[in-house]
Amino acid sequence: MLNLSSRLRRPSWMMDSKRMGMTSHFQWLLLTFILLYLMNQVNSQKRGAPRDLKCVTNSLRVWDCSWKAPSGVGHGTVYEVCIENRSHSCYQSEKTNTKIPALPPGDHEITINRLYGFGNLLSKFTLNEKNVSLIPDTPEILNLSANFSTSTLHLTWNDRGSVFPHHLSVIWEIKILRKENKEVVKLVTHNTTVNGKDTVHHWSWTSDMPLECTTHSVGIRCYVDDLHFSGRKEWSDWSPLKNVSWSPDSQTKVFPQDKVILVGSDIIFCCVTQEKVLSAQIGQTNCPLIHLDGENVAIKIHNISVSANSGTNVVFTTEDNIFGTVIFAGYPPDIPQKLNCETSDLKEIVCTWNPGRPTALVGPRNTSYTLFESFSGKYVRFKRVEAPTNESYQLFFQMRPDQEIYNFTLNARNPLGRSEATVLVNITEKVCPRIPTSIKVRDINSTAVTLSWHLPGNFAKIKLLCQIEINKTNSVQELRNVTIKGVENSSYLVAVDKLNPYTIYTFRIRCSTETFWKWSKWSNEKKYLTTEAIPSKGPDTWREWSSDGKNLIIYWKPLPINEANGKILSYNVSCSLDEETQSLSEIPDPQHKAELQLDKNDYIISVVAKNSVGSSPPSKIASMEIPNDDLKVEQAVGMGNGILLTWNYDPNMTCDYVIKWCNSSRSEPCLMDWKKVPSNSTETVIESDQFRPGVRYHFFLYGCRNQGYQLLRSIIGYIEELAPIVAPNFTVEDTSADSILVKWEDIPVEELRGFLRGYLFYFEKGERDTSKIRGLESGKSLNYSGNIS
Amino acid sequence: SLSLVQLQHQGSPFSDPGFSAPELQLSSLPPAAVSFKTWHALDDGERLSHAQGAFLALTQHLQLVGDDQRDLNPGSPILLAQLGAARLRAQGLLGNMAAIMTALGLPIPPEEDTLGVVPFGASAFERKCRGYVVTREYGHWTDRAVRDLALLKAKYPG
Repeated sequence: MLNLSSRLRRPSWMMDSKRMGMTSHFQWLLLTFILLYLMNQVNSQKRGAPRDLKCVTNSLRVWDCSWKAPSGVGHGTVYEVCIENRSHSCYQSEKTNTKIPALPPGDHEITINRLYGFGNLLSKFTLNEKNVSLIPDTPEILNLSANFSTSTLHLTWNDRGSVFPHHLSVIWEIKILRKENKEVVKLVTHNTTVNGKDTVHHWSWTSDMPLECTTHSVGIRCYVDDLHFSGRKEWSDWSPLKNVSWSPDSQTKVFPQDKVILVGSDIIFCCVTQEKVLSAQIGQTNCPLIHLDGENVAIKIHNISVSANSGTNVVFTTEDNIFGTVIFAGYPPDIPQKLNCETSDLKEIVCTWNPGRPTALVGPRNTSYTLFESFSGKYVRFKRVEAPTNESYQLFFQMRPDQEIYNFTLNARNPLGRSEATVLVNITEKVCPRIPTSIKVRDINSTAVTLSWHLPGNFAKIKLLCQIEINKTNSVQELRNVTIKGVENSSYLVAVDKLNPYTIYTFRIRCSTETFWKWSKWSNEKKYLTTEAIPSKGPDTWREWSSDGKNLIIYWKPLPINEANGKILSYNVSCSLDEETQSLSEIPDPQHKAELQLDKNDYIISVVAKNSVGSSPPSKIASMEIPNDDLKVEQAVGMGNGILLTWNYDPNMTCDYVIKWCNSSRSEPCLMDWKKVPSNSTETVIESDQFRPGVRYHFFLYGCRNQGYQLLRSIIGYIEELAPIVAPNFTVEDTSADSILVKWEDIPVEELRGFLRGYLFYFEKGERDTSKIRGLESGKSLNYSGNIS
Repeated sequence: SLSLVQLQHQGSPFSDPGFSAPELQLSSLPPAAVSFKTWHALDDGERLSHAQGAFLALTQHLQLVGDDQRDLNPGSPILLAQLGAARLRAQGLLGNMAAIMTALGLPIPPEEDTLGVVPFGASAFERKCRGYVVTREYGHWTDRAVRDLALLKAKYPG
């Protein structure tokens, strides 16, 4: 604005009239114009007239307009502000401001009339919304509270929305400051709307630094973002700060204490103290100190690594003290692995699982598990395991009657988070019975027993499939399957037949459900001896007459185990003629020989073996031998450890052939052993441990018809021939010019050690080593004639 | 030694070799350290009642430390077993002291609750520190008890 008043006071052209001259006409014109201008200005710029109209609004309803009046205005001045509109409203004010209702968009003429004494000074203004500034009222924080345990600040304030005429969006700016010097830590924008009524807003912020470390202050301001308003929108002033601080006692403290956080996160620790802190460390690592107010310090940890069981220590060291805290860095629980639910008794369900990746949190921070079943709504909690092991974890859940399908959810929870696993089971398909117990065996007879066992469980509604393992010494293992109806908590019985009498068996049982899932473990073994039965066959019998022909010696061999069916106590030897028993003797075991004095009648000798149950079928043999006149003694030589005998098939034979043998040099009776061979055979190999090479044995082959024996072949043989032990004892009987008579003696059989084939002669004349051999000869003398030279 | 085993299970800096913090004390546990002159000049009654009081406090504190370590180191049966054994040994020494005091005609002080209400709610760091102090003092007191008993034995042979 032109300050013309100074110009009016001292117009230079008036002072210096001497300079007027040629330009005086122009100057007069200039003066006129200036005067006219001044007149115009004076109308509106009279000394003391209002000017500089500025309007602001905080509500969009009312505009607070103020103007300037130059200094020196006295009391009693009244201003009249009029709005040139239809209603021509006017407002009076003793101050240089007044409130007018908000004007619609567009230009408005405002007159401000300064009334004083007898006169007035009028100013005219053009007012448009565009020139109005929207400055919201300074907000006020209702409440600032702190939750120290979560390091969270809670802010509440009233948006005083009722002052605004319509729906608006408001932007709030919240600043958070720390320390006495009020460093700005955070600036946050928060959007809300106002709806024509006062609303209390809430806002929270979690601090990365524990709130106890230093004073925290909060301030708030707002900005009304009215899209319809065409004027200047400005931020309100900042509200007065509200503070939160922790009042320390004289003891030094470190924060936070015993916190549990996720591996890899960042965290700030601080020490609130009155002593000077010299250093700080986490674990073994030193950290640079961040200085807060007074002697308080903080350290910032970035990407924290996993802690040991007892946590990671954070220590602040002063001159003569240490202060600290423990932080536990770990993981939330892994999804439970291999969740498996099964039952052993249809009463209790056992769910097992693996915890998965370790959380590194133990003791009170350890993972707790809850098993929830959705159909029944029941749940079970897992009690903390004292000693952490790698074994599976397990929970027991009581089965509900009449519920077969179970929907299990296993929840895992620890201070850092939770996880879960689910499994849907039809429990009747997941039965693994326990090991059968109380195995008992009872006799039915000598070839059958009753096996009983106990299996705990509520199996009344299902069927069981059990496997019985039968073991016999020196025999193949036998497995038998049996399906039986289940019972509730009781014993099961099954008959096992097709066993051998007087035999030790070992039984084992395992069971599963008929809808097979898993076998139970094998039960303990139960050994049992079946009862005796009567022997199944009579003993293998032979007879020899004594050398004087008066006594018949009966020989028999003990029954093998599978024919004896028990312990053989004695043998009955009876002698009968024409079906009338003449004599009966009882021979106790282990005697296997009996001698009877008999005449030359053809008696039938009968031998039975007796055990505790009864007598075997009789073995019968005729006392007299059927004669055979046409018998030649033959020779045979064996191979290796036995000797092969062959004969022709004879369909007339009704009972087994017998081959007996003896050492032919021994005296009678000639019997080393005998062998029975079926009646349809034509050859056999005789083997015995008693055979020696170089020993002459005599083999006798008997055919059998109706228990009567006839000698068929008589064979002298060696199992293996050996060279003679001695040389022949010879003498030269006679010599002549061209012949020698040599005589020698027999070599005894024992020294011959084989069948004599012949003799070999060796001749020598004069010088050594020029022997001549004459062929193999038999006989006892040799007359050698011919060329001797 | 028990003190060393306890420190090894608490993490750095406790488990660092040569860790020592003599400034850490527990007001509820009488310290074993005493000047030689003072110690030597104690009369029988004082000597034994000091030891008696210390071991009584130690049995209760060792129980507390055992509970603390069960939460902090549940997977360390060796440490827990050693703390249990130390507590039993302290109880044994308590019995010894009582027998000697009876033999000398001295009154046995009544058993007191040395811990009071304070220990509940202690932070993990406080527990580690008191574990260190208790096991340290246990070591010092057992050493001192050996010398106490040797001195008494020399004074009253047989």
